[in-house]
Amino acid sequence: MATTESTAGATSLTSPASRTLLKDVARAMFPHPSFPDAPYEHAVGTILAAAEADVRLRAQLEQGLRDVDVVGGAPFAELDDAARLDVLRSIEGTAFFEHVRTRLVTGLYDQAPVWDLLGYQGPCPDGDGYLKRGFADLDWLPDPQVEDPHRDEIVR
Amino acid sequence: MSATEIRGRFDTASFDEDDSDVVVIVGSGPGGGTLAHELCERGIRCVVLEAGPHLTAEDYVQDEWEAFNQMAWLDPRTTSGSFRLAKDFPNLPAWTVKAVGGTATHWAGATPRFKAHEFRTASTYGEVDGATLLDWPISLEDLEPYYDRAEEKMGVTHKNGRPPLPANNNFKVMGNGAAELGYRHIATGPYATNSVPYDGRPATVQDGFNFQGDKQESKWSPLVSELPKAALTGNLDLRAGSHVVQITHDARGRADGVLYLDEDGGLHRQKARAVCVAGNAIETARLLLLSDSPLFPDGLANSSGQVGRNYMRHLTASVYGTFDREVHMYRGETMAGVVADESRHDTDRGFAGGYYMQLISLGVPFMAAFVDPGGWGPDFTRIMDGYASTAGMWLVGEDMPQATNRVTLDGGMTDAHGLPVPHVHFDDHPNDVAMREHAWTQGTKVYEAVGATNVKRTPPYPSTHNIGTCRMSARPEDGVVDEWGRAHDVPNLFVSDGSQFTTGAAANPTLTIVALGIRQAEHIAAEIGRGAL
Ligand SMILES: Cc1cc2nc3c(=O)[nH]c(=O)nc-3n(C[C@H](O)[C@H](O)[C@H](O)COP(=O)(O)OP(=O)(O)OC[C@H]3O[C@@H](n4cnc5c(N)ncnc54)[C@H](O)[C@@H]3O)c2cc1C
Repeated sequence: MATTESTAGATSLTSPASRTLLKDVARAMFPHPSFPDAPYEHAVGTILAAAEADVRLRAQLEQGLRDVDVVGGAPFAELDDAARLDVLRSIEGTAFFEHVRTRLVTGLYDQAPVWDLLGYQGPCPDGDGYLKRGFADLDWLPDPQVEDPHRDEIVR
Repeated sequence: MSATEIRGRFDTASFDEDDSDVVVIVGSGPGGGTLAHELCERGIRCVVLEAGPHLTAEDYVQDEWEAFNQMAWLDPRTTSGSFRLAKDFPNLPAWTVKAVGGTATHWAGATPRFKAHEFRTASTYGEVDGATLLDWPISLEDLEPYYDRAEEKMGVTHKNGRPPLPANNNFKVMGNGAAELGYRHIATGPYATNSVPYDGRPATVQDGFNFQGDKQESKWSPLVSELPKAALTGNLDLRAGSHVVQITHDARGRADGVLYLDEDGGLHRQKARAVCVAGNAIETARLLLLSDSPLFPDGLANSSGQVGRNYMRHLTASVYGTFDREVHMYRGETMAGVVADESRHDTDRGFAGGYYMQLISLGVPFMAAFVDPGGWGPDFTRIMDGYASTAGMWLVGEDMPQATNRVTLDGGMTDAHGLPVPHVHFDDHPNDVAMREHAWTQGTKVYEAVGATNVKRTPPYPSTHNIGTCRMSARPEDGVVDEWGRAHDVPNLFVSDGSQFTTGAAANPTLTIVALGIRQAEHIAAEIGRGAL
């Protein structure tokens, strides 16, 4: 009796090559020269995980990644930064582009390592808030008024 | 035990579904929560039906997306019209909350009062093409005593001797820029978060995350104030996870109860002597439209055809300024800062009505999602790279009511319960466009005055202020409810949220919703007292 092997793991999406390509696309789309590869790889991971459960996304990625390698006249990996940007500009607005962009904009920026890189301290787990963590440490401007002595003047 | 000791963690009485003596209130936000508390204190038993779960401070998370997914109203909605939200967030026209305490679990706390002329816009602004301006049937004078009481309830700073909140970094930037520009009305409030311990709740430790719930419970919300106090009277029956699907009526056309679904999809009928709807403008209009019947073919209380019309959402826009020095705007109370100079009505600026500049900050996840919707590439990442050196302000002003800006039932899409989803149509009025342009320009100048190297004009976020869909009117043909929020068509049906607003004013709506709630409760209690309800 013939058995059908599941092909879920055999498609090109999960191959290291497509992961790397998607990471390069992510870097070109949201270029932060100071970021290491890890946050981009994490974001790509969230997209690929979503694609497991979303056939439309999966199909779009399959074809889109193949196209990305041809629209610039050479494989994406061989293009310089400016040419990569041109490739993305030329496909902006396509379903593939939007699938990737909307997921990256959450997947990339919703991770603690990126918060650190951008200087965002995030939650205050100790319950002490920011009172003792630089709440009002800005010293390049004087202290402004916190009360409006003329509040009653604005009647109209 | 006192209400303030239990804060969000309370149980309530349980009344019979056939008990037709109770007042049913739909929604437990500032509108429904305030009304329930005020009625319960007067010995009137209330059943509050709340679609969302009963979460408390321990459940809240200081993480933007996790908190949003935990509590935001995510049932689908559809959009159309020329407003940018239809393009940027077509299925998320509004940011409201589905949980006990309503959207006030995610609110910030900015609490300006309306100005006298903002109750009389038709008389003051005159004819504005395409706008359905109408004077409120009440005046500022009528509401002033209730504003006083609302501010006491909410512990509003700057009022009645309550001290202001201190300036955080973000405010230092906006405050100095505004002063450089010659603005004078600069302050950190009024703001409904404790600067010092008040009403049994602690002073803020400035942990930010106002939009994610409040783990320290220093911010007013019905969850930590009105509802536990109502519970202690023994007159409150709060049922979380209860989604009202229809208001029912008797042969004379008086409301006699509601049908609602419990968390398991079981359908219940709760009888009532009066029904008060406080589901927040979109859901309130939707529920009245869903309550159509052979007696009320166009929806309940809709003989005027006004239910769902004149939907307003305030101007809203933001400006983010980047500097060559650090700001860390997210540290501390998210919106504790206001510049009120532009809130005046002064048509020399090319538009009617006014707007406020208020502080705002977003964390990195929301900044990425909202600062430049659709954005990508080096222009986008430059903004994000400047995050720690960025200051933010929100621009909130009066938008023009328009009959065609409207909540209707979507003919094609249903929610998980099989109910038609609300469709929100909104076109910006030319007055809105002119005001937004002015506000962006002035906001830019504020930041440039203190050395901004880059300024970003950000378009509206999903609407946090949703008002006007059941407007108050003196004449029944002009609106849905009278000066008490009572439906013109149905004498024991009330609207108890911002849907009542005849026009929107420049101010954030919640203080006014609470003030109207106190006033409405007095009226309902008096009507019950004289046997009329
Ligand atoms: C991020 C954010 C910041 C804000 N900041 C401010 C601010 O600084 N100042 C200000 O004035 N306002 C602010 N607001 C707006 C403020 O939250 C609202 O004005 C206020 O919560 C409205 O009160 P409400 O009772 O009318 O509606 P809500 O608070 O939205 O409560 C309505 C409740 O009804 C429930 N409901 C709806 N339909 C049904 C149904 N069919 N059956 C059962 N239950 C139902 C909902 O689940 C909800 O809990 C902010 C809002 C957001 C999102």
